[in-house]
Amino acid sequence: MPEHRIATQEEWQAERDELLKEEKELTRRGDELARKRRELPWVAVEQAYRFETEAGAKTLADLFDGRSQLLVYHFMFGPPYETGCPVCSSIADTLDPQVAHLRARDATLLLASRAPLQKLLAFRARMGWAIEWVSSAGSDFNRDLGFLNTEEQLEPFLDGEIPPTVEQNARLCGTDAKGYVSERPGLSVFALSGGTIYRTYVTTARGLEPAMAYYGLLDRTPKGRDESATAPLWVRRHDEYEQNPDRADGA
Amino acid sequence: MPDHAIGTREEWQAARAELARLEAEQAELGQKVTEQRRQLPWVAVEKEYRFDTEDGKKTLAELFSGRSQLLAYNIMFGPDYELGACPGCTSLGDGLDGGLVHLNHRDVTLICFSRAPIDRLIAYKQRMGWQFPYVSTYGSDFPFDFGLALTPEQAQDVPEVKAMIDSPPAWLEEWSRQIGAELEDGLREGPGWIAFARENGTVYHTYTVMAPDPFVAPYHSFLLQRTPKAPSEEPRAWRKDEYPD
Repeated sequence: MPEHRIATQEEWQAERDELLKEEKELTRRGDELARKRRELPWVAVEQAYRFETEAGAKTLADLFDGRSQLLVYHFMFGPPYETGCPVCSSIADTLDPQVAHLRARDATLLLASRAPLQKLLAFRARMGWAIEWVSSAGSDFNRDLGFLNTEEQLEPFLDGEIPPTVEQNARLCGTDAKGYVSERPGLSVFALSGGTIYRTYVTTARGLEPAMAYYGLLDRTPKGRDESATAPLWVRRHDEYEQNPDRADGA
Repeated sequence: MPDHAIGTREEWQAARAELARLEAEQAELGQKVTEQRRQLPWVAVEKEYRFDTEDGKKTLAELFSGRSQLLAYNIMFGPDYELGACPGCTSLGDGLDGGLVHLNHRDVTLICFSRAPIDRLIAYKQRMGWQFPYVSTYGSDFPFDFGLALTPEQAQDVPEVKAMIDSPPAWLEEWSRQIGAELEDGLREGPGWIAFARENGTVYHTYTVMAPDPFVAPYHSFLLQRTPKAPSEEPRAWRKDEYPD
């Protein structure tokens, strides 16, 4: 017998019905939050940012690509990185197939990082993504939006004990802890209206959790995320997991 | 000027900070609900089911592919659908491959079920470029036993389903054209998630959630909940290769 509690179908159904009430309440509150997000005031973006893209230099307005909404995922890939952050890579795995569906909703989704464009495109080819990736190298875009940590900001963190996950991710990116955490991950949302760009929403850290689609799915499985606060993170780039010879799919 | 409140950076920051507090509260609550979900009892699956897969016939235990957890999304694609699966379920399916390898390394096998025969699932999977294993429940009691499909009689007994069949809104009539099936057949398939655990040779059913109940939304809805434009009132959806523009 498993350690877990076993029940009859009827007992399960009764408890499941109770849980459903909580799930519905959570969803109702989630919808309300989405409404509150849309009520945030917009802030005009005054600075002229330039990005390196596959189609040459572009302004922030150009990045909307003719649509009125722009979602930018700030992918941690700074100039000293050899390859992109593994966790951001797992997020991009799940963002990539969404581009077509978002376009149909008047929204352009892309990735932006501070590393030079050639590095970004080479890594994108390795990962097999089609999503647009622009470089903000040479622009204050990341700093102004709060996605670049300065040395002063980092000092207390670097003076303390570096968490194993940070050490591990830094190593996997071919940089050190300082180089790795100079970049911050995040999602910025902009609106284009009457020729002016407005910043409408931003989120980072725990707010990015829904972007990790696998977490939402793991939350429905019997074991859940099965993570510990002390063990390094299990997430790897999709082509860097250890191969399991016992399984047909190698995973 | 846009038809929206414009603020200074400071005003926005203050409003954003308040919203961040509510978002953190919501994340806490979400974690609590997840914890409760994991405490649901498990129910042993006594019946032997056999499924048509891309690699021949398999039992429910075999669908685990050696892992201890099986998570499946039931795509609405019944035997009567002439033109393919439900477009909304299809766009949800588009979001699954990105998480596939990551879940596999968390001891979870992620698959999709549909009730149409396996050759039609394979053709549709190819068209959509999907990677996840796609399993047919055609001819099995499984979808009916687990509430993933309704018999014609059951469909008539569910007031919400009967009402939709009898007086469908325009978007649902269009949906019926998109799948190439009458609503009375199309609405017999249930979109939802189902989870199983396998331990010491026994398979246990652990969780089910069906639309319109929570958490049955495509992955991109998380992004659309963060865009400035309000979402459309109607749940219209298109397959990625069939968008009108």
